Amino acid sequence: MSFRSLLHERWRTQVSLLAADCLEASEREGALRHLDSCAECRGDYQAALAMLETLAADPARDAELPVPMAFLVTRVEARVEALTQSRPFRWGTLAVGLAVALVVVPWVVPRVVPPVVERVTRLVGAPVAVEPVAMDDAALRRVERTVAREQAVRYLSEAQDVLMTVASTPHACPLKDRHVDLSEESRRSRELVARRALLVALDDDSVASARLVLEDVDHVLREVATLDPCVNPEEVVRVQQQMEEGRLLMKIRLMSRELVG
Amino acid sequence: MDASDRELMGRLARGDREALAPLMERHSRRVHRIALAYLRNVDDALDVVQDTFVKAFEHAARWNADSAVGPWLAKIAVNQSIDRYRREKRRRASFEPLAEGDHYETLSTEEPSPEARAAGSETSLRIAAALRGLPERQRAVFVLRHYEEHSLEEIAGILDMRLGTVKSSLHRAIHEMRRRLEGLRA
Repeated sequence: MSFRSLLHERWRTQVSLLAADCLEASEREGALRHLDSCAECRGDYQAALAMLETLAADPARDAELPVPMAFLVTRVEARVEALTQSRPFRWGTLAVGLAVALVVVPWVVPRVVPPVVERVTRLVGAPVAVEPVAMDDAALRRVERTVAREQAVRYLSEAQDVLMTVASTPHACPLKDRHVDLSEESRRSRELVARRALLVALDDDSVASARLVLEDVDHVLREVATLDPCVNPEEVVRVQQQMEEGRLLMKIRLMSRELVG
Repeated sequence: MDASDRELMGRLARGDREALAPLMERHSRRVHRIALAYLRNVDDALDVVQDTFVKAFEHAARWNADSAVGPWLAKIAVNQSIDRYRREKRRRASFEPLAEGDHYETLSTEEPSPEARAAGSETSLRIAAALRGLPERQRAVFVLRHYEEHSLEEIAGILDMRLGTVKSSLHRAIHEMRRRLEGLRA
């Protein structure tokens, strides 16, 4: 490439940057002076401006989030919560532990276990049958409450997942023109409704505060469960409005937090 | 008074999940616009918004308190968008065996589905195809400049590129977009 064409290539870059409004005052003046003397660069400049003007009409520039902010926050919080609950599994630690165990156990067990067994037998005489530990009523009640709350949280979390998909933008149905595909959400709603009937714990007093939300969720899930796999978007909008009016997703989020404590 | 970005990042770094909502309220629209402009797919863009804030929570402790949060989130969003684009490219390639070197062009010039055609304007579809035709980094430079109006210095920081490389990438991207959008008027 000759020096002249190299220089011209540099000007072409400057002209693009001028069109993109990325030059400082002094560079800008230089580029404008060059345009006065170079017809080719003037053409490039006009074409770049026209392209950028076209780009200004791109709807993506002003796109709003397709779902309400509260939905998005809920989903991110749920993912973060799952992330903080799961502990990373350390293979290295496991490998070292196993190696130590392989070396230590065969050496320790024959030396330690027989004398201990002998001493214990001497002390207690014959082996004694162990009675099962009796749990008092209060402890039992605490366990039941914990189970009920965990079941409620899990149920709400799964329902939330289904309802958020319904509330966002479902995919177009490949089988029917101008219909949306809710087959998966409909199937999962049916499963959840069926499971709800079997979850006795959800009727427990310890989740009494969640009862109204659970009923609202159940009601909307039943609506989704009855939708066709390929459904008319108007029907989806009706369910979305119902959820929006009842602020259902927000209620699920707040209730889940309360239950988790 | 609203907490500043710095305060919110400090809380995130200490594992305070409550700081996510105000941070998302402030920045998720911009993150969404970057992802949408880059990927041109509503669902993927929404996933990128979520991924970005999950990553922000995970790596909040690494955020440099002397820098602004917006460009830091933009950097995560661009990286997530590129990752997602690559995954999609690989997925398509595994379903549609093509001759060597053809993958990129196929992605960039694919015909929109009838639904997409009905939903989007001709302008939007042409712009989408033109943007998909740019190499990954060039596209990122172009999107950050023309959709989010970042300065060249900011773009260099976000993409870990030298300023000169950003300038030449932007020039090439403009040239290529011009070629691909020729004849299209807003």
